[in-house]
Amino acid sequence: MPLTNRGREILSRVPGGSLQSTVGVGCEIVRHEELCVGCGTCARNCPSGASERGDFFDVNQLLDAPEGSRRGELGAALRRLMQHEPDGPVEVPERVTVYRTIIYDDDKCLGCGTCARGCPADAIEARPPKADAAPRRPAATEGVPA
Amino acid sequence: MPASATPSGATSADRTIVAFCCRECAYAAADASANARTPLPATVRLVLMPCTGRVSPLHLLSALAEGADGVMVAGCLLGQCHYREGNFNAVDRVAFVQRLLKSVGVEPERCRMFTMSAGEPPKFVAAVREMDRVISGLPPLPRSGDGESRAPRHGAGAASGAAPAEELLSSARGAA
Repeated sequence: MPLTNRGREILSRVPGGSLQSTVGVGCEIVRHEELCVGCGTCARNCPSGASERGDFFDVNQLLDAPEGSRRGELGAALRRLMQHEPDGPVEVPERVTVYRTIIYDDDKCLGCGTCARGCPADAIEARPPKADAAPRRPAATEGVPA
Repeated sequence: MPASATPSGATSADRTIVAFCCRECAYAAADASANARTPLPATVRLVLMPCTGRVSPLHLLSALAEGADGVMVAGCLLGQCHYREGNFNAVDRVAFVQRLLKSVGVEPERCRMFTMSAGEPPKFVAAVREMDRVISGLPPLPRSGDGESRAPRHGAGAASGAAPAEELLSSARGAA
Protein backbone atom coordinates (compact mmCIF):
# COMPACT_ATOMS: atom_id res chain seq x y z
CA MET A 1 0.00 0.00 0.00
CA PRO A 2 1.49 3.40 -0.85
CA LEU A 3 2.69 5.45 2.09
CA THR A 4 1.03 8.67 3.17
CA ASN A 5 3.15 11.82 3.28
CA ARG A 6 3.19 11.65 7.06
CA GLY A 7 4.36 8.05 6.96
CA ARG A 8 7.10 8.92 4.53
CA GLU A 9 8.24 11.74 6.81
CA ILE A 10 8.37 9.46 9.84
CA LEU A 11 10.25 6.83 7.89
CA SER A 12 12.87 9.39 6.90
CA ARG A 13 13.53 10.10 10.59
CA VAL A 14 14.00 6.46 11.52
CA PRO A 15 17.68 5.51 11.33
CA GLY A 16 18.05 2.79 8.72
CA GLY A 17 14.28 2.81 8.14
CA SER A 18 13.06 1.13 4.98
CA LEU A 19 9.87 -0.46 3.77
CA GLN A 20 11.19 -3.97 3.42
CA SER A 21 8.57 -6.41 4.57
CA THR A 22 9.48 -8.76 7.37
CA VAL A 23 10.54 -12.28 6.58
CA GLY A 24 7.50 -14.53 6.34
CA VAL A 25 5.10 -11.89 5.04
CA GLY A 26 6.01 -11.82 1.37
CA CYS A 27 4.22 -14.98 0.31
CA GLU A 28 4.59 -16.42 -3.12
CA ILE A 29 1.19 -16.01 -4.83
CA VAL A 30 0.24 -18.78 -7.23
CA ARG A 31 -2.94 -18.32 -9.28
CA HIS A 32 -4.84 -21.26 -10.76
CA GLU A 33 -6.72 -19.55 -13.57
CA GLU A 34 -8.73 -22.65 -14.50
CA LEU A 35 -10.39 -22.66 -11.05
CA CYS A 36 -11.16 -18.93 -11.06
CA VAL A 37 -14.88 -18.09 -11.18
CA GLY A 38 -14.31 -14.42 -11.96
CA CYS A 39 -16.04 -13.05 -8.87
CA GLY A 40 -13.42 -10.34 -8.44
CA THR A 41 -13.10 -10.73 -4.66
CA CYS A 42 -9.30 -10.72 -4.96
CA ALA A 43 -9.39 -7.48 -6.92
CA ARG A 44 -11.67 -5.89 -4.32
CA ASN A 45 -9.57 -7.01 -1.37
CA CYS A 46 -6.11 -6.37 -2.79
CA PRO A 47 -4.44 -3.57 -0.80
CA SER A 48 -1.83 -2.78 -3.45
CA GLY A 49 -3.91 -3.01 -6.62
CA ALA A 50 -1.93 -5.96 -7.92
CA SER A 51 -5.11 -7.87 -8.90
CA GLU A 52 -7.57 -6.16 -11.20
CA ARG A 53 -10.61 -7.16 -13.20
CA GLY A 54 -9.72 -7.03 -16.87
CA ASP A 55 -11.81 -5.93 -19.85
CA PHE A 56 -11.22 -9.17 -21.70
CA PHE A 57 -11.87 -12.84 -21.19
CA ASP A 58 -9.56 -15.70 -22.05
CA VAL A 59 -11.78 -18.36 -23.67
CA ASN A 60 -9.35 -21.11 -22.65
CA GLN A 61 -10.40 -20.53 -19.06
CA LEU A 62 -13.82 -21.98 -19.97
CA LEU A 63 -12.30 -24.99 -21.72
CA ASP A 64 -9.95 -25.75 -18.81
CA ALA A 65 -12.53 -25.24 -16.04
CA PRO A 66 -13.30 -28.31 -13.89
CA GLU A 67 -16.29 -30.43 -14.86
CA GLY A 68 -19.49 -29.64 -12.99
CA SER A 69 -18.65 -26.01 -12.35
CA ARG A 70 -20.60 -23.26 -14.07
CA ARG A 71 -17.69 -22.32 -16.27
CA GLY A 72 -17.05 -26.00 -16.88
CA GLU A 73 -20.59 -26.46 -18.21
CA LEU A 74 -20.20 -23.47 -20.48
CA GLY A 75 -16.86 -24.87 -21.63
CA ALA A 76 -18.42 -28.27 -22.36
CA ALA A 77 -21.10 -26.62 -24.51
CA LEU A 78 -18.48 -24.54 -26.29
CA ARG A 79 -16.29 -27.58 -26.89
CA ARG A 80 -19.12 -29.30 -28.78
CA LEU A 81 -19.58 -26.26 -31.00
CA MET A 82 -16.04 -25.14 -31.64
CA GLN A 83 -14.57 -25.43 -35.10
CA HIS A 84 -11.05 -24.47 -34.09
CA GLU A 85 -9.09 -23.43 -31.04
CA PRO A 86 -10.13 -20.02 -29.64
CA ASP A 87 -8.62 -17.08 -31.52
CA GLY A 88 -7.59 -15.41 -28.30
CA PRO A 89 -9.13 -13.32 -25.56
CA VAL A 90 -12.51 -11.76 -26.32
CA GLU A 91 -13.51 -8.29 -25.27
CA VAL A 92 -16.22 -8.35 -22.61
CA PRO A 93 -19.25 -6.00 -22.72
CA GLU A 94 -19.75 -3.78 -19.70
CA ARG A 95 -22.63 -5.65 -18.07
CA VAL A 96 -21.08 -9.09 -18.28
CA THR A 97 -19.37 -9.27 -14.92
CA VAL A 98 -18.20 -12.77 -14.10
CA TYR A 99 -16.71 -13.80 -17.44
CA ARG A 100 -13.62 -11.68 -17.04
CA THR A 101 -10.01 -12.58 -16.59
CA ILE A 102 -8.29 -11.20 -13.51
CA ILE A 103 -5.09 -9.34 -14.33
CA TYR A 104 -2.44 -10.07 -11.73
CA ASP A 105 0.63 -7.85 -11.61
CA ASP A 106 3.47 -9.57 -9.80
CA ASP A 107 5.50 -6.35 -9.51
CA LYS A 108 2.84 -4.58 -7.46
CA CYS A 109 2.14 -7.58 -5.24
CA LEU A 110 3.14 -7.31 -1.59
CA GLY A 111 2.65 -11.00 -0.97
CA CYS A 112 0.22 -10.39 1.88
CA GLY A 113 -2.05 -13.28 0.88
CA THR A 114 -5.33 -11.39 1.33
CA CYS A 115 -6.49 -12.58 -2.08
CA ALA A 116 -5.82 -16.22 -1.19
CA ARG A 117 -7.73 -15.93 2.10
CA GLY A 118 -10.74 -14.33 0.44
CA CYS A 119 -10.91 -16.50 -2.68
CA PRO A 120 -14.17 -18.51 -2.59
CA ALA A 121 -12.98 -20.90 -5.29
CA ASP A 122 -9.56 -21.68 -3.76
CA ALA A 123 -8.01 -20.56 -7.01
CA ILE A 124 -5.20 -18.63 -5.33
CA GLU A 125 -2.48 -20.17 -3.26
CA ALA A 126 -0.19 -18.21 -0.94
CA ARG A 127 2.93 -20.29 -0.51
CA PRO A 128 5.40 -19.54 2.25
CA PRO A 129 8.35 -17.53 0.92
CA LYS A 130 11.45 -19.46 0.05
CA ALA A 131 14.22 -18.94 2.58
CA ASP A 132 16.71 -17.72 -0.01
CA ALA A 133 14.28 -15.40 -1.80
CA ALA A 134 14.83 -11.69 -1.41
CA PRO A 135 12.11 -10.08 0.70
CA ARG A 136 9.40 -8.44 -1.35
CA ARG A 137 9.66 -4.73 -1.49
CA PRO A 138 6.72 -2.62 -2.59
CA ALA A 139 7.26 -0.18 -5.43
CA ALA A 140 6.66 2.78 -3.08
CA THR A 141 10.04 2.30 -1.35
CA GLU A 142 11.85 3.81 -4.30
CA GLY A 143 12.99 7.30 -3.54
CA VAL A 144 12.59 6.87 0.20
CA PRO A 145 15.89 7.48 1.98
CA ALA A 146 17.13 4.38 3.70
CA MET B 1 -44.96 -22.44 -44.82
CA PRO B 2 -42.74 -23.10 -47.82
CA ALA B 3 -39.37 -24.51 -46.83
CA SER B 4 -36.49 -22.80 -48.58
CA ALA B 5 -33.83 -25.12 -49.96
CA THR B 6 -30.14 -24.60 -49.14
CA PRO B 7 -27.07 -25.64 -51.16
CA SER B 8 -26.63 -28.77 -48.99
CA GLY B 9 -30.10 -29.95 -49.96
CA ALA B 10 -31.42 -29.55 -46.43
CA THR B 11 -34.53 -27.47 -45.98
CA SER B 12 -35.18 -24.83 -43.41
CA ALA B 13 -37.69 -27.21 -41.84
CA ASP B 14 -34.76 -29.30 -40.57
CA ARG B 15 -33.53 -26.43 -38.47
CA THR B 16 -34.44 -25.48 -34.95
CA ILE B 17 -34.45 -21.99 -33.53
CA VAL B 18 -34.89 -21.53 -29.80
CA ALA B 19 -36.47 -18.20 -28.86
CA PHE B 20 -36.08 -17.05 -25.27
CA CYS B 21 -39.01 -14.69 -24.79
CA CYS B 22 -39.65 -12.21 -22.03
CA ARG B 23 -43.02 -12.85 -20.36
CA GLU B 24 -43.95 -9.19 -20.25
CA CYS B 25 -43.36 -8.25 -23.87
CA ALA B 26 -42.26 -10.76 -26.44
CA TYR B 27 -44.24 -13.69 -25.10
CA ALA B 28 -47.33 -11.51 -24.87
CA ALA B 29 -46.69 -10.41 -28.45
CA ALA B 30 -46.32 -14.07 -29.46
CA ASP B 31 -49.60 -14.84 -27.69
CA ALA B 32 -51.36 -12.05 -29.52
CA SER B 33 -49.96 -13.14 -32.87
CA ALA B 34 -51.15 -16.69 -32.18
CA ASN B 35 -54.61 -15.37 -31.30
CA ALA B 36 -54.60 -13.57 -34.61
CA ARG B 37 -53.67 -16.90 -36.25
CA THR B 38 -50.55 -15.51 -37.85
CA PRO B 39 -48.43 -18.48 -38.96
CA LEU B 40 -44.93 -18.60 -37.46
CA PRO B 41 -42.06 -20.50 -39.11
CA ALA B 42 -42.21 -24.12 -37.98
CA THR B 43 -38.57 -23.98 -36.91
CA VAL B 44 -39.06 -21.81 -33.86
CA ARG B 45 -39.46 -23.09 -30.28
CA LEU B 46 -40.55 -20.55 -27.72
CA VAL B 47 -39.14 -20.60 -24.19
CA LEU B 48 -40.88 -18.43 -21.62
CA MET B 49 -38.55 -16.37 -19.45
CA PRO B 50 -39.63 -14.06 -16.61
CA CYS B 51 -37.36 -11.39 -18.07
CA THR B 52 -34.59 -11.50 -20.65
CA GLY B 53 -32.25 -10.54 -17.80
CA ARG B 54 -32.60 -14.17 -16.70
CA VAL B 55 -30.97 -15.42 -19.89
CA SER B 56 -27.38 -16.38 -19.22
CA PRO B 57 -24.63 -17.26 -21.70
CA LEU B 58 -25.04 -20.84 -20.46
CA HIS B 59 -28.68 -20.94 -21.68
CA LEU B 60 -27.69 -19.71 -25.13
CA LEU B 61 -24.65 -21.95 -25.59
CA SER B 62 -26.33 -25.08 -24.18
CA ALA B 63 -29.27 -24.58 -26.55
CA LEU B 64 -26.83 -24.44 -29.48
CA ALA B 65 -24.82 -27.40 -28.17
CA GLU B 66 -27.93 -29.53 -27.60
CA GLY B 67 -29.38 -29.22 -31.07
CA ALA B 68 -30.55 -25.71 -31.88
CA ASP B 69 -29.18 -24.11 -35.05
CA GLY B 70 -29.92 -20.62 -33.79
CA VAL B 71 -31.01 -18.92 -30.63
CA MET B 72 -32.84 -15.64 -30.32
CA VAL B 73 -33.60 -13.54 -27.30
CA ALA B 74 -36.74 -11.43 -27.54
CA GLY B 75 -37.30 -8.81 -24.90
CA CYS B 76 -38.84 -5.46 -24.15
CA LEU B 77 -37.90 -2.23 -25.87
CA LEU B 78 -34.73 -0.77 -24.40
CA GLY B 79 -35.69 1.39 -21.44
CA GLN B 80 -39.07 -0.31 -21.02
CA CYS B 81 -38.00 -3.40 -19.12
CA HIS B 82 -40.49 -4.29 -16.39
CA TYR B 83 -37.53 -4.99 -14.12
CA ARG B 84 -35.81 -1.75 -15.10
CA GLU B 85 -32.64 -2.99 -16.80
CA GLY B 86 -32.97 -6.70 -17.44
CA ASN B 87 -32.89 -6.33 -21.21
CA PHE B 88 -29.71 -4.24 -21.09
CA ASN B 89 -28.04 -7.18 -19.34
CA ALA B 90 -29.40 -9.47 -22.04
CA VAL B 91 -28.03 -7.26 -24.82
CA ASP B 92 -24.54 -7.45 -23.34
CA ARG B 93 -24.74 -11.18 -22.72
CA VAL B 94 -25.87 -11.83 -26.28
CA ALA B 95 -22.96 -9.68 -27.52
CA PHE B 96 -20.61 -11.70 -25.31
CA VAL B 97 -21.94 -15.02 -26.65
CA GLN B 98 -21.56 -13.73 -30.22
CA ARG B 99 -17.91 -12.90 -29.53
CA LEU B 100 -17.37 -16.32 -27.91
CA LEU B 101 -18.90 -18.04 -30.95
CA LYS B 102 -16.85 -15.94 -33.33
CA SER B 103 -13.62 -16.76 -31.54
CA VAL B 104 -14.19 -20.51 -31.93
CA GLY B 105 -15.26 -20.30 -35.57
CA VAL B 106 -19.06 -20.37 -35.35
CA GLU B 107 -21.18 -17.77 -37.16
CA PRO B 108 -22.16 -15.08 -34.63
CA GLU B 109 -25.49 -14.56 -36.47
CA ARG B 110 -26.74 -17.75 -34.83
CA CYS B 111 -27.38 -15.78 -31.66
CA ARG B 112 -29.40 -12.59 -31.86
CA MET B 113 -31.37 -10.21 -29.71
CA PHE B 114 -34.66 -8.55 -30.71
CA THR B 115 -36.75 -6.04 -28.83
CA MET B 116 -40.47 -5.33 -29.10
CA SER B 117 -43.38 -4.24 -26.97
CA ALA B 118 -46.33 -6.40 -25.99
CA GLY B 119 -48.52 -4.52 -28.46
CA GLU B 120 -46.43 -5.35 -31.51
CA PRO B 121 -47.23 -8.91 -32.61
CA PRO B 122 -46.21 -8.12 -36.23
CA LYS B 123 -42.78 -7.11 -35.01
CA PHE B 124 -42.44 -10.42 -33.19
CA VAL B 125 -43.47 -12.36 -36.29
CA ALA B 126 -41.07 -10.31 -38.40
CA ALA B 127 -38.23 -11.02 -35.94
CA VAL B 128 -38.89 -14.76 -36.03
CA ARG B 129 -39.10 -14.77 -39.83
CA GLU B 130 -35.88 -12.78 -40.06
CA MET B 131 -34.13 -15.26 -37.77
CA ASP B 132 -35.57 -18.18 -39.75
CA ARG B 133 -34.32 -16.61 -43.00
CA VAL B 134 -30.81 -16.13 -41.61
CA ILE B 135 -30.59 -19.61 -40.10
CA SER B 136 -31.93 -21.37 -43.19
CA GLY B 137 -29.23 -19.61 -45.19
CA LEU B 138 -26.54 -21.12 -42.95
CA PRO B 139 -25.43 -24.75 -43.00
CA PRO B 140 -26.61 -26.98 -40.13
CA LEU B 141 -24.52 -26.31 -37.04
CA PRO B 142 -21.81 -28.97 -36.83
CA ARG B 143 -21.18 -30.40 -33.38
CA SER B 144 -18.39 -32.62 -32.23
CA GLY B 145 -19.25 -35.93 -30.62
CA ASP B 146 -22.64 -36.58 -32.17
CA GLY B 147 -21.72 -37.59 -35.74
CA GLU B 148 -24.57 -39.59 -37.27
CA SER B 149 -26.31 -40.25 -33.98
CA ARG B 150 -27.71 -36.76 -33.91
CA ALA B 151 -30.99 -36.71 -32.04
CA PRO B 152 -33.89 -37.15 -34.46
CA ARG B 153 -35.77 -33.97 -34.94
CA HIS B 154 -39.08 -33.18 -36.48
CA GLY B 155 -37.78 -33.90 -40.00
CA ALA B 156 -37.34 -37.57 -39.16
CA GLY B 157 -40.46 -37.60 -37.01
CA ALA B 158 -42.59 -36.32 -39.87
CA ALA B 159 -41.24 -39.05 -42.17
CA SER B 160 -42.11 -41.86 -39.75
CA GLY B 161 -45.45 -40.25 -39.01
CA ALA B 162 -46.32 -40.05 -42.70
CA ALA B 163 -46.75 -43.80 -43.21
CA PRO B 164 -49.68 -44.37 -40.83
CA ALA B 165 -51.39 -41.30 -42.25
CA GLU B 166 -51.01 -42.72 -45.78
CA GLU B 167 -52.35 -46.07 -44.62
CA LEU B 168 -55.26 -44.39 -42.95
CA LEU B 169 -55.96 -42.40 -46.09
CA SER B 170 -55.85 -45.40 -48.40
CA SER B 171 -58.00 -47.49 -46.05
CA ALA B 172 -60.51 -44.66 -45.95
CA ARG B 173 -60.52 -44.56 -49.76
CA GLY B 174 -60.98 -48.34 -49.88
CA ALA B 175 -63.97 -48.12 -47.58
CA ALA B 176 -65.58 -45.41 -49.63
